[in-house]
Amino acid sequence: MQMSIMRRGSQWALFVCLLTSFAAAATPQYVLTNDDASVFSIDSVTFYTIGTGGTLELYKQVSTGGAGIAGGFFGANRLAMLNNGGTQCVYASLAFTGGIVGIDVSTLEVVGTTYGSATDNGSSNGIGLAINNQYLYASYTGSNTIATFQVQPECGLSFVSDVTVIGLQGGFVDGMAISGNTMVATFGDGSIQSFNISSGTPVSNGDMQNSTGAIASGYASYPTSVEMTQDGHYAIFGDTSTSTLVEVSDISSGKLKKTVSYSLGNGINSSNILLSPDETLLYVVNTQGDTLSAAFFNATTGKLTPGCISGSLKGYVSDWSYLGGLSLQTNTGTGNVVYVAEFGTASGIAMINVTSANGQCTLLETAGSPASDPYSTGLLSIGTFPPRTF
Amino acid sequence: MSRLRFFVFIFRAAAVVVTLTCLAASQCPNRPVPGTVLYDAPSIYSQNGTLNAAFTMGHSVESFGYTHYCYKYTTSTGTVEAPTLRLNPGDTLLLNITDDITNGPPQSKTAMDMSMPSGPTCGDGGTPTINSTNVHFHGLNVSPNCGSDDVLTTLIQPGSPGFQYTIKIPADEPPGLYWYHPHVHGFTEFQVNGGAAGALIVEGMQNVRPEVTGLTERVITIRQQFLVPWVPGPYQLTVNFENAAVAEGPAPTILMKPGEKQFWRVLNASLQDFIPIQVQYGGVPQELELIALDGYPLAQTRNQTTILIPPAGRAEFIVEAPPQEGTAFLVTETYSTGPTGNPDTGQPLATIKLSNVTSDAKLSKVSPTPVKAATNEAHPPIATKTTTAKIDAKPPAPANALPLKFSDLKNATPTTQRKLYFSEEFGGTNGPIQFYITVDGQKQQVFNANEKPAITTKVGAVEDWTIENRALETHDFHIHQIHFLMLEQNGQPVANQDLRDTIEIPYWSGSGPYPSVKVRMDFRDPTIAGIFVFHCHILLHEDLGMMHKIQVLPQ
Repeated sequence: MQMSIMRRGSQWALFVCLLTSFAAAATPQYVLTNDDASVFSIDSVTFYTIGTGGTLELYKQVSTGGAGIAGGFFGANRLAMLNNGGTQCVYASLAFTGGIVGIDVSTLEVVGTTYGSATDNGSSNGIGLAINNQYLYASYTGSNTIATFQVQPECGLSFVSDVTVIGLQGGFVDGMAISGNTMVATFGDGSIQSFNISSGTPVSNGDMQNSTGAIASGYASYPTSVEMTQDGHYAIFGDTSTSTLVEVSDISSGKLKKTVSYSLGNGINSSNILLSPDETLLYVVNTQGDTLSAAFFNATTGKLTPGCISGSLKGYVSDWSYLGGLSLQTNTGTGNVVYVAEFGTASGIAMINVTSANGQCTLLETAGSPASDPYSTGLLSIGTFPPRTF
Repeated sequence: MSRLRFFVFIFRAAAVVVTLTCLAASQCPNRPVPGTVLYDAPSIYSQNGTLNAAFTMGHSVESFGYTHYCYKYTTSTGTVEAPTLRLNPGDTLLLNITDDITNGPPQSKTAMDMSMPSGPTCGDGGTPTINSTNVHFHGLNVSPNCGSDDVLTTLIQPGSPGFQYTIKIPADEPPGLYWYHPHVHGFTEFQVNGGAAGALIVEGMQNVRPEVTGLTERVITIRQQFLVPWVPGPYQLTVNFENAAVAEGPAPTILMKPGEKQFWRVLNASLQDFIPIQVQYGGVPQELELIALDGYPLAQTRNQTTILIPPAGRAEFIVEAPPQEGTAFLVTETYSTGPTGNPDTGQPLATIKLSNVTSDAKLSKVSPTPVKAATNEAHPPIATKTTTAKIDAKPPAPANALPLKFSDLKNATPTTQRKLYFSEEFGGTNGPIQFYITVDGQKQQVFNANEKPAITTKVGAVEDWTIENRALETHDFHIHQIHFLMLEQNGQPVANQDLRDTIEIPYWSGSGPYPSVKVRMDFRDPTIAGIFVFHCHILLHEDLGMMHKIQVLPQ
């Protein structure tokens, strides 16, 4: 009997193992870029497979059928990934032509393009995206609208409605992040705001405010990109600044509290940030410079402490002029390898190895970095599929 | 500033084209044909201590879509563009400016508040627009108040009778090359891009630097024009309005006799081009005897093969022609303005040809002495179509018995030390961009017409300013009303304590100490009491707010 149980257990374990292996094989892993190409070339989303040590190999260019603008706001992420059971989709915004293209990850084929309202316009600085399992939100930086799209089967979308949003100083909507029923947005003028999205369409939580860093600097610094912790306790803001500045707001009450500013160095600009999957590190891009920083983050207290900084990333000035968005090799721990978009006529993807232990960290660009992104002349947005779970 | 997105370019270029088609007639005089002999701008001279002239600011779009703005000077014999104003120390310039700009390009460049300051206005007042104008007399050490070199409250609007400036050149004004250009905050680059700039010479250089006595003189104004001035990209440099060849194209031709020495007075009136100037014979840079910088004669001349002239800077130097015909060029070398700066690429500016015929003998000559006007002449006479003028062995004006302004600044004791810094940030690749110049300890903010002065000092003060560059592109510091003494670069004493009114501060690499200059400011002259500005003279930066006020209180 005991033997039988053991045998049965072994068989079960083998079954689970096989199932897991099958599931793993069924979930492809990609790094992808919104190439944001202008009307003078073919706009596309490029998929890269991830090899040993996080190396990237160009796998497929998926033409979007639309056009981008080869630039725009740093904080507006033009990619959104959905990994909900059997639904595996990538959505990419097309800044110039205005649509949101859906790509089925299983086939790497475009399913369709969905448009917002007639007034939605992101052709000046892009269309930012944020997603949960039911809705995709698109921030149109030109019309100051956030469009709500309902996720449809097979990577489709259907437009629901617009809300008009504008910063306290007249700023344009820029970065967005979602956790649970809360969405937080930045406005590029020092102001930030949260929304309740429990019913789909964003409803203001009545907490629009100017950030502490913006006020202290006379609006020379202002929140641009935004991240939220997995539990929705904190919103973290990467600031456009003449230095490296990150702000954290406690939103556990359902409303943004006054932000706490963290000065993390002299590097110019910190417009793009990303939390590690284990929430111990916050990666901060020196957007107008050539380095990546990591700060230690305490997800319990919301406090940041300085961590480490990379060396000068290869190709600065000669190949690219700005650093853009971030993604990670894995959805566990520190993410292992950080990928950073390099904006330039020879756009690329920097690959930086992360180590972190005992309160120390290192960021080391890999020997094979950067990977070329030949289909983009101005890469800003990058993502990993499957996406981080929060 | 780095790239802007393509469609903005298309949109704005289309707007320019629309504007072009809206314009019925060309207002500005025709500019020289490329590849022809280089002429100096016509000069007009003060007479009996006064230069009385009237300019009209015109506007037109030429066939390739370049927008021209022009200072037109008209007499009974015709209309010329941007003549050189020549005065002696102690003279008075009475300059009437009328604004005849019509159908200027659309002003969609920026959402900045360009309103005039509340309170007293000067001239026509009203709201500054792309069609408004005024004049800054760059480098002159004169009053900043209404009627004089005031850019903060003076506005001239289209259709008004105009405005008369009364500029009293100090008796101890250094002889040298100055210049005039529009300075309406938010729109300066448009008009300068279109060519609205001209030279102003305070005569008497030979009284201070006898090396130039008897030499043939050239006034060379380098301008820069973008198709759309706020879209970085390809641009044209012009030399006295003649297009400079980028590669193999026709270049302006400078005529010199074999071995002849000439005195060249070069003005960088570009929007943002840093010009490391050279004269090359057979590809070899020649020694240039530097006489003056920014209109201030050097304490001692020195030989250099390259003279860096930042935007708005001037260099005056002696050039010796090659003994025999060969490949000879006036060139600008490539200059790196940093990761986010515009590339300033090297190119020839003019070709130098030898001629045994005196170059200026082919054409009418400009007398170095003040030209006497006909009694019934409403305007000072102009000398047109001149290639050069000669500096007479006899001074054109009485030798200045006074020591030059600022000549004792080196030994003055500073009363105050200040630190300022340039910084900038981009919210995206297409902007929003913020350009700041900040007094250390104050908040970074862009210029606002209603702001309080960032610095308040008083007549009698001598201040040492350290100016850092914390941005990833080179900036170009300029202060109105005074020259400053160069003391240090990057914390080290400079080899040459020149007096400047404009100085480049190289870009920060992203790590290490910030590049800096330390300069000595002289606020002792009560003439300059009032409110004026300091700013980056990359004109886009100035227009977008990299500027602040300084108030000099009377004693």
